[in-house]
Amino acid sequence: MIQGSNKNIIFGLYNDEEDLLTAVRAAQKNHLEIYDVYSPFPVHGLDPALKLEESRLHQAGFIYGMLGTLTAFLGMTWVFVKDWPNIFGGKPYWSVPAFIPITFEMTVLFSAIGMTVTFYIINGLGPGVKNTYLHDRITDDKFCIAFDTGDVSTGEAEAFFSTTGASEVHSKTI
Amino acid sequence: MNQYTFTSKHRLSLYIAMAVGLLSMIFTWLNDDVYHTRFWTNLLHNSVFFMMIAVMAAFFLTASILAYAGWVSTFKRIWEAYALFMMVGLVLMLLIGLGVYFHWHHLYHWGDEAAVAEDSILTGKSSFLNKNWYFFGTLIFGGAWVFLATKLRNLSLDEDKHGGDSFSQHKSMRFYAAILLPLIGFSSSAMIWQWIMSIDAHWYSTLFAWYSSASAFVAMIALTILMIIFLKSNGYLKDVNENHLHDLGKYLFAISIFWTYLWFSQFMLIWYANIGEETIYFKERYNNYPVLFFLNLAVNFLVPFFILMRNDTKRKFGSLGIVAVVTLLSHWLDYFLMIKPGALITRNEAMLSHGGETHTSVMEGAHTGTAEAAHGAGEAIAHTAEHVSHFVSGFTIPGLLELGTFIGFLGLFFYFTLWTISKASLTPKNDPYLEESLHHHVI
Repeated sequence: MIQGSNKNIIFGLYNDEEDLLTAVRAAQKNHLEIYDVYSPFPVHGLDPALKLEESRLHQAGFIYGMLGTLTAFLGMTWVFVKDWPNIFGGKPYWSVPAFIPITFEMTVLFSAIGMTVTFYIINGLGPGVKNTYLHDRITDDKFCIAFDTGDVSTGEAEAFFSTTGASEVHSKTI
Repeated sequence: MNQYTFTSKHRLSLYIAMAVGLLSMIFTWLNDDVYHTRFWTNLLHNSVFFMMIAVMAAFFLTASILAYAGWVSTFKRIWEAYALFMMVGLVLMLLIGLGVYFHWHHLYHWGDEAAVAEDSILTGKSSFLNKNWYFFGTLIFGGAWVFLATKLRNLSLDEDKHGGDSFSQHKSMRFYAAILLPLIGFSSSAMIWQWIMSIDAHWYSTLFAWYSSASAFVAMIALTILMIIFLKSNGYLKDVNENHLHDLGKYLFAISIFWTYLWFSQFMLIWYANIGEETIYFKERYNNYPVLFFLNLAVNFLVPFFILMRNDTKRKFGSLGIVAVVTLLSHWLDYFLMIKPGALITRNEAMLSHGGETHTSVMEGAHTGTAEAAHGAGEAIAHTAEHVSHFVSGFTIPGLLELGTFIGFLGLFFYFTLWTISKASLTPKNDPYLEESLHHHVI
């Protein structure tokens, strides 16, 4: 959610994730453009219902992982072959099997940290960042569908919320 | 169409496969050395491979029952049938066990009493590595596995007919699964030590049972995927959809990585410690089987890792089927590498001690030198002895006869399992988890 975009949001709160899914499908059917959907936990089947594309986060993770592999492997190769060659236990300088565990760890570390940081940046999260939110209870027990009043008129939205059984309807400028 | 009918067309193609296998085995027997080493190693290789696949099927089936796993219900009849293949595997392993008793073969160095008597290491191990343990261990443990797997299968069939809301059959399946799971988990390791690891009689590795079980586990998942693809393309198993395949694909992916982890752990510890009696296992394979040695590692790790990493490749017949075929073949190759090199050394040593009177110089080389010298000595004998042929093909690489034997065993495996599957409905209709499995959804 981008801060200070001055959007007038009208949103309805649902009590159950099944109601939310039905409502999302109804909105898609009526060509009402949904601004966003919020839920306290991942709702199974919500992504396909919203026709969201698959996240590319894991592709980024793969690239970070490969970077970790290369960093570790080439780094160790440089240190133990060129910069400071040492014989350990009668093994050759370029002892590939001994590099594998560290290469594996660095792959995991790079992809984990890289994906976490990317995830935080994409979602505008992070320490010290203040985000506005629509309603306290969407992090607790309510499921929310939000419309931008620029796309969907208030009347349409209210009619939609009452037919799909939203328990509360509010609006907020964010 | 809930029940598979074993059509005459399917039977015929499996008969042909089995005939190919039988002919290959006969040809192998006829063109073999005096001990018929190639024949017996091929028999052992394929018997152990498919026996372990059946063992892993029983293992995973019982683990699923005990973990309250629901997703497997729609295709668990396949695993029940695979687990029952332990009957056939048991008969084959007992045949090899009888061979140890009556010296039909020289697969195991510890089976040679004269060699054990003058070898302090083998004497030390002889309380476990002996013909009685081999034969009766196989009989008792294998018999218990078969008994419990049959029990589970019968309960599952009974559930189809008389299952009710009390789920009494399912409750007793849980009871028997709780016995079979730890039993098969622990005792199969001991049997792997006997069946496979003791071929390299002086060598041992504490990771070996894990490693070869993981290998068989991957092959079992691959065969399950292939069986599902086969049944679905014939119009059966309509309830099994891409979500079930996705989860099986995850297992294929994950256990392949687990296998690589174990392969590498076993290798690296031995490489690092660099103790002669441990490194001999890898030295033999590295020096004399370099292509297979690295091909095995590369294919079994890289192919599933890179192809199955994405979501969509796990959900399609094509990509999943190709990976299943590749991993099945290359884990068969993995077993080849576990069995053939050691059996070849044993054969050569047996030849030196029994038939090497005219080759005194060769004998000296073998007794004073390293295994490499023994290997070279065996090679020298192979060139001079009349009966020894196919030294390379069939030992250092799988020849056509090995492939033929594999096709035969694959035919036998599919014949038995399809015949078992055809006996009952493919959908376990009173299984308490069936509804969960029908609605299984992973994305």
